Amino acid sequence: MWRFLGTRLAMGFLTIWVTTVLVTLLIHAVPGDPVQIMYAQSQGTTPEQIEQVRRSLGLDQPIPIQYLMYMERLFQGDLGVTIRGGQPVLEVIVQRLPNTLMLAVTAMFIAVLIGVPMGFLAAYREGTLVDIGLMFLSIAGISMPHFWLGLMLLFFFALELGWLPVSGNGGLNLILPALTLGLSNAAIFARLTRSSMIDVMSQDFVQTAFAKGLPKALVLRRHVMRAGLLPVVTMMGLQFAFMMGGAIVVENIFSWNGVGRMAVEAIFQRDYPIIQGFILTFSLVVVIVAIVIDALYAVLDPRIRRA
Amino acid sequence: MNFTRRSLKQVAAVFSLSSALAAPVIAEDIVWARYGDIDSLDPHRATSTLSLQVWSLVYDTLLAMDADGNPVPHIAKSWSSNDAGTEYTFSLEAGVLCHDGTPLDANDVKYTIDAAFNEATPSLTKGSWGPITAAEIIDPLTIKLTLDSPFVAMVPFLADSFSSIICDTNGDGFGTTTAIGSGPWKLKSWTKGDRLVFEKNADYTNFGKLADNPGAPYEDGLIITVVPEPQARLAALKTNEVHIAEPPFDDVPMIKKSGELEIVVAENTGQNVFWEFAIHRPPFNDVRARLAVAHATDAATAINLIYGDLSIPENCPISRGVFGNDQDFCAKYRPAYDPEKAKALLAELGYSMDQPLETAMLVWTGGNRQKLGEVFQAQLAEVGIKATIEIMDIGSLNARVRQENENKEGTKGSMDMMTWSWYDPDILFALWHTPGAYRGYTSPELDAILDETRILTDPDARKVKVQEAMAYLLEKAIHVPLYTPGWEWVFAVSPNVEGFKVAPFVYPIFSDIKLGG
Amino acid sequence: MGITVGMSAHSAPAGFWRRLFLSPNGVVGLMIVLGLIFCAIFAEILAPHNPAKMGTGGRFLPPSGDFPLGTDEFGRDMLSRILYGSRITLLIGAVAVGISMTVGMLVGMLAAFHRGWLEMILMRSTDVLFSFTETLIALSFVAVLGPSLQNAVIAVGVAGIPFYARTCYSAALVETSKPYFEASISAGAGPGRLLFFHLMPNVLPTMIVVATLGVSTAILAAAGLSFLGLGAQPPTSEWGYMLAGSRDYINRAPWLMTIPGLAIAITVLGFNLLGDGLRTSLDPVERK
Repeated sequence: MWRFLGTRLAMGFLTIWVTTVLVTLLIHAVPGDPVQIMYAQSQGTTPEQIEQVRRSLGLDQPIPIQYLMYMERLFQGDLGVTIRGGQPVLEVIVQRLPNTLMLAVTAMFIAVLIGVPMGFLAAYREGTLVDIGLMFLSIAGISMPHFWLGLMLLFFFALELGWLPVSGNGGLNLILPALTLGLSNAAIFARLTRSSMIDVMSQDFVQTAFAKGLPKALVLRRHVMRAGLLPVVTMMGLQFAFMMGGAIVVENIFSWNGVGRMAVEAIFQRDYPIIQGFILTFSLVVVIVAIVIDALYAVLDPRIRRA
Repeated sequence: MNFTRRSLKQVAAVFSLSSALAAPVIAEDIVWARYGDIDSLDPHRATSTLSLQVWSLVYDTLLAMDADGNPVPHIAKSWSSNDAGTEYTFSLEAGVLCHDGTPLDANDVKYTIDAAFNEATPSLTKGSWGPITAAEIIDPLTIKLTLDSPFVAMVPFLADSFSSIICDTNGDGFGTTTAIGSGPWKLKSWTKGDRLVFEKNADYTNFGKLADNPGAPYEDGLIITVVPEPQARLAALKTNEVHIAEPPFDDVPMIKKSGELEIVVAENTGQNVFWEFAIHRPPFNDVRARLAVAHATDAATAINLIYGDLSIPENCPISRGVFGNDQDFCAKYRPAYDPEKAKALLAELGYSMDQPLETAMLVWTGGNRQKLGEVFQAQLAEVGIKATIEIMDIGSLNARVRQENENKEGTKGSMDMMTWSWYDPDILFALWHTPGAYRGYTSPELDAILDETRILTDPDARKVKVQEAMAYLLEKAIHVPLYTPGWEWVFAVSPNVEGFKVAPFVYPIFSDIKLGG
Repeated sequence: MGITVGMSAHSAPAGFWRRLFLSPNGVVGLMIVLGLIFCAIFAEILAPHNPAKMGTGGRFLPPSGDFPLGTDEFGRDMLSRILYGSRITLLIGAVAVGISMTVGMLVGMLAAFHRGWLEMILMRSTDVLFSFTETLIALSFVAVLGPSLQNAVIAVGVAGIPFYARTCYSAALVETSKPYFEASISAGAGPGRLLFFHLMPNVLPTMIVVATLGVSTAILAAAGLSFLGLGAQPPTSEWGYMLAGSRDYINRAPWLMTIPGLAIAITVLGFNLLGDGLRTSLDPVERK
């Protein structure tokens, strides 16, 4: 198990390291002179000031040195300042990240709480109308664009029925965005749970238990569920990344004050420090969650635990 | 199935009831929702209207604008200048207090000017102060400014929130977390991307601003929130979550008809939306190409489609409400809507429907400008101009326009729908006098005319020169005015709000507001 | 998401077509996809009006006789826009998946074939790329290169590479361990021949299933980017872009929102069903 975790940790570090390299290079991939672009909007800036900014950002240095400068600042917690308004990027991100995390985690809960039982039910009643119906529902769920679902939910629940508030950041406001994200992903969990359960149920040890005459419910609970849920745990790790990605769009629809909305605004504003900070944060969160989930998996899966 | 639906309704009812109970019932704060957030609390660090409007609430300026947009005394109760126009002395009102209780006097004025002219980090709008070489404190209530050369536009500038007086007790975190001014509203907090929270400044005295209320605002608190979606703002207005917000343009006729919200349209906004071109390279270095675009554009139809009667076509490079504006005068010089003429000019240049003139059309986000851009795109397509729309926010637009102007090599043309709001014709100087805000144009002839507009103190003489400049710009299709107003000028107001008004140049005033039951 | 396919060399299992047509998912999916392709190819003939022309009809006309899907805020015919949009949608799917699959297959096959250090580098790289998630990669691309449909499609294509690489890798590993493969090696076949003549055709069926499912992901991703304003630009009648524009008119013209959304959903559903059908019919082991 430790070797397994060790590999995962190493991969995590590798990913983050690659991210920092890419993020440093990002600014150079921009066509044109990045500093000009960043500061050209302020009419008062003189060419000397632009040179000064270029020097302070290290953009006149060769790229490896720039990378070292960036890493140095990174370790000191300095992610730079926003071009608009000059606020520390770290501050801007830290203020809004909890909102995105709250959204993603809640959505994950919803997805699992709806999807897994659905899949389980479909597996239990495999081949029946219930199964077919549920699976069609889940394919439909996967096919629906989540931004469309969000708009429809916004329209029905907030505008038409007025049950829920339209925007803002309170507890009630979390419901619609989390539902949007959660429902779209529930379908994936449903399908996975179903196939995983069916897999397990067809295995020898389960068949033996049935043959021995044990009640179906007991067999399901004790043997099938534990084994069948393992892939679901792995899936949670993968899906979390997708949820973070989906949050970007959902935050825009519901004016949810998270980092996703911040990122889209930053792109329109060509505010590169924020974009860089966002990419780094996103990767970090995804990697950390993946490692945590993998650790969870290692604890749960007896095969890995004993290795 | 039935019981699930019923229980669902019950759950929802409980939710809405509890949220209603959770909302405070007494002394509400005024809530104003806008599509975006400010860039900075520091008046020297941003130029967006979103930021300006907030500065006008937190800070005071030496002068104020009356309903016609003319400068009148405010913190400075009087001023005088020498004959040459190079020295101005201002006498300040006594007893004005900053939000932290310290007095606002000549020290703060000097502090502000020093900050604006600071070598390392000058104000973004440093140029608009004029060529000030010294700010001298004569006594705590008198300050003297010395200029290198006359600059008549300085006086109106001192009434605009770009010249907000920053208290000298501001320290760390100024502009990002704190902002000490002397305005009617005290900043309590700024949650970036979400909201600004203010409480009323109980010690406020209104000397010259447009509010009827001579003192502190009537309501205790003001919250300015960020709600990017127009439909979300409308819904929030209807549920009274928000008191004032810009509604979706297309729903305005319906709102007016139903009367459930009041529609307030700001006047004398000084906003000018216009075409400008990358003139230093083909195709737009040829005046005929520019004229073709101008003749192909039917601004009246386009804005009617998108804004209804909320916006009107504008003939002059400086809008209604600004000194020098004269629709009839400008109509004589500006290219009129004439698609046939556009086609003829394009043919002269060698273009045709099969070989269209290609250009990028840069537009900034919001205010339905994207849709407007699409209408213009279709109009241009009819005469044989293929425009590719690129949307970006105003800051990026400014940067990109300058890039395009400086780029003498590019093969594809670039034009943009630029927007500027200024309270004085000096904006023409800022835009078109070499080197120009966007490095957009170079002409010694135009420069000479614009130079004079800065120093002529006699209004009539100045007007003549301003109009000369406008005629030049219009005939050569350098600045093709389209319409006014263009952004954030329409407000939908909740019926329980009394006393909301908007001062010239789109500065909403909250001091007079009383919230009904 | 591993797909196990056991197959013999060079031929699809007997009864593939029969099984495909027996699976309800597959049939429905196939019909939808064929319908889409038909619309895309014959858009010019099918569309009653010019999709870009403003004022074809009055503004905000609800679906009715002259305009079966209504008109938009500029008076443009929705039916025509949707039809032309199907062409763009298919192109997006094809190009994005084309990029992902080509690069992904190359990477996967090379990794499975060579083993050793090349394998490790390639697969670790795809792992890293994978954790960036599609949206992030797409955002970065667009942030740097600017919003445009082209950039969005490339971004989606690049973002999909890890998935195809991994799947191809697993499938290729299975193939390379089979007797016929080893036999070819001992027969003296060169690496080129092994890769493209033996390995690829056997991995291809699996990859086609994956690609079919992948088209739907690509379409959704590109539509999402256009929705944010980072993809298709006016006056393109791309469905995601149309959806974005409909937000302002939810009250006044709800069909502007429902119709493009339905179009995307049905298209994606079609590809998903088809992919599902392909997968079950390729897999000779029926689970009961």
